[in-house]
Amino acid sequence: MKKVKLLALLGLASCLMASAAIAKEWKTIRVGMDASYAPFESVDPSGKIVGFEVDYANALCERMKLTCTFQNQDWDGIIPALLAGKFDVIVSSMNITDERKKKVMFSDMYYATPIVFAGQAANKSDDVSPAALKGKTIGTQSSTIHANFLEAFYKDSNIKLYPTQDEPNLDLASGRIDYVVGDGLVEQDFFDKKGNGCCRVISEIKRVPGIHGPGVGVAMRPEDTDLRDMINKAIGEVDADGTYKKIEAKYFKQDIRGKQLTN
Amino acid sequence: MNWFSLLFGSEGWGSLLLEGAVVTILLAVTTVPFGFGAGLALAVLKLSPSRVVRGLCEAFTTFFRGTPDLLSLFIVYYGLQALIDRVSKLIGLSSPIELNAFVAGVIALSVVAAAYSSEVWVSALKAVPKGQHEAAHSLGLDAKRTFLFILMPQLVRIALPGLGNIWMVLLKDTSLISTLAVIDLLRAASEASKNTTRPILFYSAAAAIYLVFSILSGVLQSRLERRANRGFA
Amino acid sequence: MLDTLHDSAAALLNFEMMSRYGWRLVDGIWITTQVVTLSVTLGFLIAFLVCRARMSRNRMLSGAAISYITFFRGTPLLCQLYLVYYGAGEIRPLLTNLGVWWLFREAFVCCVFAFSLNTAAYQAEIMRGALSSVPKGQVEAAAALGLSQFRISRHVIWPQAFIVALRPFGNELIAMIKSSALAAIVTLLDLMGETRFIFARTFDFLIYVYAAIIYLVIVEIIRRVWGLIERSCSRHLIVATGETQSRGQDEGRICRAGRHGLSHGGAPQGQRA
Repeated sequence: MKKVKLLALLGLASCLMASAAIAKEWKTIRVGMDASYAPFESVDPSGKIVGFEVDYANALCERMKLTCTFQNQDWDGIIPALLAGKFDVIVSSMNITDERKKKVMFSDMYYATPIVFAGQAANKSDDVSPAALKGKTIGTQSSTIHANFLEAFYKDSNIKLYPTQDEPNLDLASGRIDYVVGDGLVEQDFFDKKGNGCCRVISEIKRVPGIHGPGVGVAMRPEDTDLRDMINKAIGEVDADGTYKKIEAKYFKQDIRGKQLTN
Repeated sequence: MNWFSLLFGSEGWGSLLLEGAVVTILLAVTTVPFGFGAGLALAVLKLSPSRVVRGLCEAFTTFFRGTPDLLSLFIVYYGLQALIDRVSKLIGLSSPIELNAFVAGVIALSVVAAAYSSEVWVSALKAVPKGQHEAAHSLGLDAKRTFLFILMPQLVRIALPGLGNIWMVLLKDTSLISTLAVIDLLRAASEASKNTTRPILFYSAAAAIYLVFSILSGVLQSRLERRANRGFA
Repeated sequence: MLDTLHDSAAALLNFEMMSRYGWRLVDGIWITTQVVTLSVTLGFLIAFLVCRARMSRNRMLSGAAISYITFFRGTPLLCQLYLVYYGAGEIRPLLTNLGVWWLFREAFVCCVFAFSLNTAAYQAEIMRGALSSVPKGQVEAAAALGLSQFRISRHVIWPQAFIVALRPFGNELIAMIKSSALAAIVTLLDLMGETRFIFARTFDFLIYVYAAIIYLVIVEIIRRVWGLIERSCSRHLIVATGETQSRGQDEGRICRAGRHGLSHGGAPQGQRA
C-alpha cells in the first residue's frame, strides 16, 4: 500500500512539474471586456461587441499573428474571471494601478484620457471641490479608480456605486444624482448621443498618481510573462506603423495615446 | 426613433430581445432535467438509513433554500470557476477547461433547483404507499424496475404541482443570470434601454414576454396535471 | 496540494478582511431589515385591498385584481425593480409635477415600492386561499344565528383563516428576505450590496459564503419563531386532531398561492425571482 501511495505521489509531482515546464503555445487569445463603455466597447443591436478597444485588440492580435475572440464580462468580476482562466487578457480600459498590480500583470500603457466631473446642464457652477460637493450625490462605476478617488477625497458627499458606467450616466440624466465622475470621452459620448442636453462635462480631474495611475494597459495573469512580451512588442508595432492613429481617428477627434506620467 | 421602430425596426433592438427570450427559455429548459433529476437523487439520499448521508443532504438543502438565489448563483458561478482553476492546475492541464457563462448559469440554477425540488420529491416519495414496494418485491421486480415502472409514474403525479411551482420560480430566476453577463431576456432589455435611454419601453416589453411564458407554463401545468390525474377522484 | 490547503485555511479565517470590512455587513443587515419590514407591512395592506377586490362580485374589480396578481406573480422581481427604478427616472417630469420625485429619487424608496407591490400579489392569493378554506357552513350558521356581516368576518372567518394562512405567510416573509438581495443591483447597500462592495475590494469569494451564512441564520431564526407562533395559535387544533398539519387539501391550495406548492410536510421556503 505504501508503495502505491508513493508512486501516486510521484506521478502527481511529475505532472505538476511537467505543467510548469511546458511553455504555453499561444494560438488564440481570449479577450475579456465589459462591453458597456461606449465608445471603447459596447454591444450593438445585433449583440456583437464593437468599439475602439475591439479594433485595437484585433490590430494587436494581427501583429502577433494570433486570433482574438471577445467575451463580455461584468466589470466587478473581471479580474477574478481572468485569474480563474475564463479569458487570457483584459482589454477593457483598465487603468494601471498599484492595487491591481498586486493581482494582475499589465502591459505597457496604450491610452490615457482625461478624467472628468460631469453634472447637470442646469448646474452652472464649475466648483467641484470637496467642500462644494458636501452632501451632494456623486455616482460612478464600482471597482474603478473613480470610485477609489471619490472615497479618498469626497468623504462628505453621498457616493453611489453602480455595476456599469452607463447607469450613473442614466441617473444623472434623470436627475437622480448630482454629479458623475468618469472618463471624459465616455461621458462626452454619452451626453452627445443619448443625453438630450441634460448634462455637461464640468472639469477635468488631475490624475493622482497613487490612485489613478498613468493610463490604461492590457491586464493578464502574472505567470504569462511571454504573453506580456508579445503584447508589448505588438503595442510598439501598432504605434510605429500608424495603425493606432487610424483606429483612433475612427472614434475620437483628439489624441488619446497619452504619455507616461512623470512625477 | 419612435417606440415602434426601436422595437421592431431593422436598427431596432427587438431581435436582441427575442434572442434573449430564446436564451431564457433554453436556460430554464436545460436546467429542468439536471435540476429536478439531481433533486430526485438528493431526495432518495435523504431517505437513506445512514445519518451522515442524510445530514449532508439536509445541510445542502438548507443552505441553498435559506440563501437568496442571487447569492447562490454568485457562489456557484465564482466558486465553480475557482474550483475548476484549482483542479486543472493540480492535474497539470496547460489550458484550463473553459466554462462558458451559459453552462455556468445552468449549473448554478440546477443546484438551486435541486435543493428546492428535493423537498417536493421527498414528500412525494413518502406519499407512495408502502404496499406498492412490497407488491413489486413480491412480483419479483428488481429495484431499478420498481423505480422506473411503479414508483416514477406515481411520484410524478404527486410531485407535479410542487414541481410546476418550482418551474415558475426557475423561469423567473433565469433573470438573475442577467447579472452575470449572459445575454438573457432581461439583460437584452437592459442593454437596449441603456443604449436608447428608454427603460420603460424595453423593460415592459421584457415583462410582457415573461408574462406570456408564465401564462403558457400555467396552462401547460394544468394540462399535465389533468392528464396525470386521469382515473383518480 | 499543500499550497491549496494552506491557502484555504488562511482564506477561511480571513480575519483581516472581516476586521476591515465587517462593520459594513452590519450596516447592510440593518438596511435589509428596514427594507423587508416596510415592504412586507405595506404589502399586507395592499394585499388586503387586492384580496377584497379579487373576491368581490364586481366583474371589473375582480378582473383588475386578477390582472394585478397575474402580472406581479408572472414576471421576475428584478424586471419589476428595473421598471420602477429606471422607469421613475424616465418619467421624472411627471413625478415632479405630482410632487413625488424626491421620493422616487431614492433607491430605498424604489425598492420598497417594487417589493411591496410584488409581495402584495402573493399575499393576496394567500389571503384568498385562507378565506376560501373556511367552510361555507360556518358562515351560514353564523348568519342563521343573526350575526352581522362584520361580526361574521371578524369572529368566524378571520380567526380560522388566520391559522390556515400562517404557514404560507411565514414562507412569504422568508421569500421576501431572500428577494431583498436584489436591491443591491440598484445601488442599495443592503447586506448583499455591502457584500458585493467588499468582494470588489478584496476579490475574496468567501465573502459571499459569509453573507450566505448570515442570510441562512436570519431565515432559520424566522422559521423557528414562526413555528412557535404556529404551534401556539393552533394548540386547540393539535389537541383535537392529534397532528400539527392543517387540512391537507386546503393547505395544498393555499401553499400553491405561495412560492412553492408543497402539499405535505417539509418547511416550504419560497423564493421569488
